[in-house]
Order: sequence, then structure tokens, then C-alpha cells
Amino acid sequence: MRNAYDAADAAARDHLILSRMLADAEVLCGTRDALLAGQYHHLRGRIAALIELTVPIDHEEGAA
Amino acid sequence: MSACAQSRTESGAHEMPFMDSARLARLAALSRSELETLQLRKLRRQLARLHGSSAYYRRRMDEAGLAVDALASLDVFRARFPVSTKADFLADQTAHPPFGERLGVAREEVALVTMTGGTSGQGQEIYGRSQRDIHMQGYLHALPWFLAGLRPGDIAINCVPAGGLTTGGWGPGEGLRIAGATAFHVGGTLSTDAKIDLMQRIGEVHFIYASTNYLHTLTEAMLRRGLEPKRAFPTLRTLFIAAEGYPVEWAERIETLWGCRLQEGYGSTQCAGFGASTCADGVVSPRGGRGLMHMFEWETLFEVLDPATHEPVASGETGELVVTNLSIEGSPVIRFCTGDAARFISHRDTGSGRAWNGIECGTIGRFDDMLKIRGNNVWPSTIDAAVFSYGEVAEYAGRVYTSADGKTEIEVRVAFTEQAAGADAATRAQSLEAIRTTIKERTNVWMTLITCARNELPEFSYKARRWKDERQQGYRL
Repeated sequence: MRNAYDAADAAARDHLILSRMLADAEVLCGTRDALLAGQYHHLRGRIAALIELTVPIDHEEGAA
Repeated sequence: MSACAQSRTESGAHEMPFMDSARLARLAALSRSELETLQLRKLRRQLARLHGSSAYYRRRMDEAGLAVDALASLDVFRARFPVSTKADFLADQTAHPPFGERLGVAREEVALVTMTGGTSGQGQEIYGRSQRDIHMQGYLHALPWFLAGLRPGDIAINCVPAGGLTTGGWGPGEGLRIAGATAFHVGGTLSTDAKIDLMQRIGEVHFIYASTNYLHTLTEAMLRRGLEPKRAFPTLRTLFIAAEGYPVEWAERIETLWGCRLQEGYGSTQCAGFGASTCADGVVSPRGGRGLMHMFEWETLFEVLDPATHEPVASGETGELVVTNLSIEGSPVIRFCTGDAARFISHRDTGSGRAWNGIECGTIGRFDDMLKIRGNNVWPSTIDAAVFSYGEVAEYAGRVYTSADGKTEIEVRVAFTEQAAGADAATRAQSLEAIRTTIKERTNVWMTLITCARNELPEFSYKARRWKDERQQGYRL
């Protein structure tokens, strides 16, 4: 049981970190440097996908 | 699983993917009701987004009177949301080139363009994927491979040709990067012998991904060189195949020759990667016979429907796979009729203890590949299974044609392996007759079998195209 709680805690923590990273990546995407703009969008896409893949499942069920 | 493969794989932690990933363990522990609740939530989110961003899907929702907010259940969605076909997508992209109104993201957000193969002759669907989708596509390749034993730091050989315009060209590379593997993308760039040379130089190989047909070619080439795969690559943990059917006997022989388990995935451009896989269970059931591929239903909503009535088939029956992307944002498919034929196994009957529905290994076919021969529905995959159940066969090719007197005839050219080709004429004739009888038993059609040299038949680096229907030509004046 404890393992299940630990895993749920870790998942929630990871999701929180990624959510903060996405907010930062959104700011980066506002750059006026055209060379960096595409790379920041690439980074944002990666983070957005990881958020999708790490949303705590119990949270998703609860939100349904 | 062969005894040899069993001894190689019994002790490895890679056999326990649900212990190596807490997230997978949670997904494996979901009840059916919890899984469907998760699907419904993702579906609502997807449809709400598409109502705002895709005129194609907005029109379909509005015409069906489907308000996303009021979508109470998956049953309502299945009953009321209209299916889409390849013809619908082609018409959409012809009217609104290049991506059609179904795109669902701004054109500027498209970072990868893929197309379907065009082998149907109807035309090629075009898909625009976002940066986020590229990662998702990688994940939908890495997921079945993780389940099959691939771990960070492993050495992987990707025999599927990389790049180009197909999902199969880009997804594996992304998947292997995401998985943390050191990948050698040898498909399409090296001859089979050069691949074997490179693999021998690498020495430590853990994972091989290939089309069913190419794994056959690779194995055949190794045996021709006197190499026993399991001795040449003793660290190999997983062989992973996709794209084509095969007989169980062939799978068992492959496991014995390579000394590891053979795993399979079902995937497509419409699934944006793999939608189902054998997980760690292998393509041969522990009870003998065919294994099962378990569907990743939290990412892709699958229906298996009777293609004529669009009613769900019962567990154990064959139907058409109809797919809905729950997590893809660029060119997502919603209730798309794939034309892929699969034998559906309800989660209640998979014996896995998980709530994921399944489809049978090794028997995925195409409804539109079906050949109507003398009143019988014949799938090339059925003939593949019959012919390759004989270990003497290296390759074969078939054609259906109209004879001079207007009759439908079927010719199957069979190339024996080097060893079988060296047998006396009586033995070869006996083998040919046995194959002919097996084809008749499985298709109800007698075919004419002749032998030919192996180099008279093509080698396929990805999906094999073994059949030609030349009947129309017979009627030309």
C-alpha cells in the first residue's frame, strides 16, 4: 500500500514540475529571436507531451 | 514459447514491465469502468478542442447533434458520431489541400508530415503532426517496446527503413530515442548481409525491430551464412515484429533459432504508432497457439466492428478496427475505419488480469486486400500462414489471372530454402503437394504451385506484397 502512495506522490510531483516547465517554455516561445523560436517550440511540444503522459491517472479519473 | 527462448528470458527483470514502471502498473490495475471513465474524459477533451479547431469534425458533430458537454457515455459517442473513411479524408484534403479541414492545429504548428503508403490505389492520406505529436508518436512506439523488454542503455537494431513520408519511417527513431536506447537504423540503407556484418561488429545487441517479412529474410540470410542467431547474438532479449501475419509454427521456429521471445505490435499511421502489443507475453501463447496483443486503450479508443453493419463483433470474432485518437492533436482520427481485419478478444477472455481488450497475434489482415477467387473470400495473410507453416519455404509469390479460355487460375511460385532446394525431386514434389493441400484446406481454393529459385522472387525490406491480381488483363482485347 505504501508503495502505491509513494508512486502516486512521485507522479503528482513530476506532473507539477512539468507544469511549471511548460509555463516557462511558453514564455520562451515569445522570443523575438527567430533562430531560437523554433527550438523553443520544439521544447514546449516535448514538455506538453510529457504532461499528457504523466497526468496522475487518479486525478484524470476524478476529473471525468 | 520455445524452451530455448524460455530459458533465455525467464530470469530477466525486463519480463516484468509493470514492476519497472509505477505508471504502467497503475494502468494495468485499472478496472474496466475506471479505464472507460479515463477514455471518456480524454474523448470529451479531444472533441471539445476539435469543435473549435477543425471544421471537418465540427460539421460531423453538429450534423449528428452531438454536444460535447452533453456526451454522457462512450456508448452515445459510438452510436451517434459518424465514422470516417479513407474516401472522406481524401475528399477533405482535395477540397482543402494539403491537410484538409480535419487538421485541428494551425498549419504553422505542423512539424512533421506523414502520408499513408498508397498501396490501396485510392490515394494517400496526409497527416500533419505537431511538435507535441512527434513526442507522442515516439511514445507510442517506445511503449510496446518497453513492455517487450527494451530498457535505457540497450542496443537496438531498427530494420525498418527510416525517414521519408511514413509514420513507420519516423516513429521508430523517435521511439528508440525516447526509450533511451542506442539505436542503429539499418533499414533501407544496408543490404541484409551488410546488416549482419554490422550486427556482428556491434556484438552486444538487445533488441531487433523488423517487419515480419524482413525478420524472415534476416533469419534466412544468417542461416545461409551458417550463423546460428542465438549463438551469434547471445545478449538478444527481444525480437519485435509488426505489419504482417505469419503462422504459429514460423514464430516458434524463430524463437528457437534466436533463443528469445518474439513480440508483436499492431500499429498504423492512424494510430500514430502502435495501438496494441503482446506486452511481455510473446506471440505464442503459453498454452500453445496464437498469443494476444493488448490494446493501449487509454491512448487510442478502439472499436472492432462488423464492416457491413458497423455493429461490434463478439469476442472471438473478426471485425474491422475503427480507431479514435485520444491524445494526438494534429490530424487526429475520430472513428476512422481502418480496413484492418482483426480477431477481437474481450478483456474478459484475455486471461491477463488487465482490463485492456485484445486482438489475436499474427492474423491481422486487410479487408481491401481480400481476393475474391471462385466465390471464396481469400486473404493473402491466410495464404502466407499456410505457405510459411512449412519450414522448407524461403519465399513465395502468387498471381490470379484469367486463362485463355476465360477461367480464373491461381499460380503460386514457391522458392525453397537452400537446404530444401537441394533435396531430390520426389521430396520437393511431396512438399509442394503438402503446401497445396494446406492452402486448399484454409482457403477452399485449389491453386497451381510451381517452384522457382530464391533470387527470382523479390526481397521485401518492409511490408511484403506477394500477390498480384491480373484478372482484368485477361479480358483485354
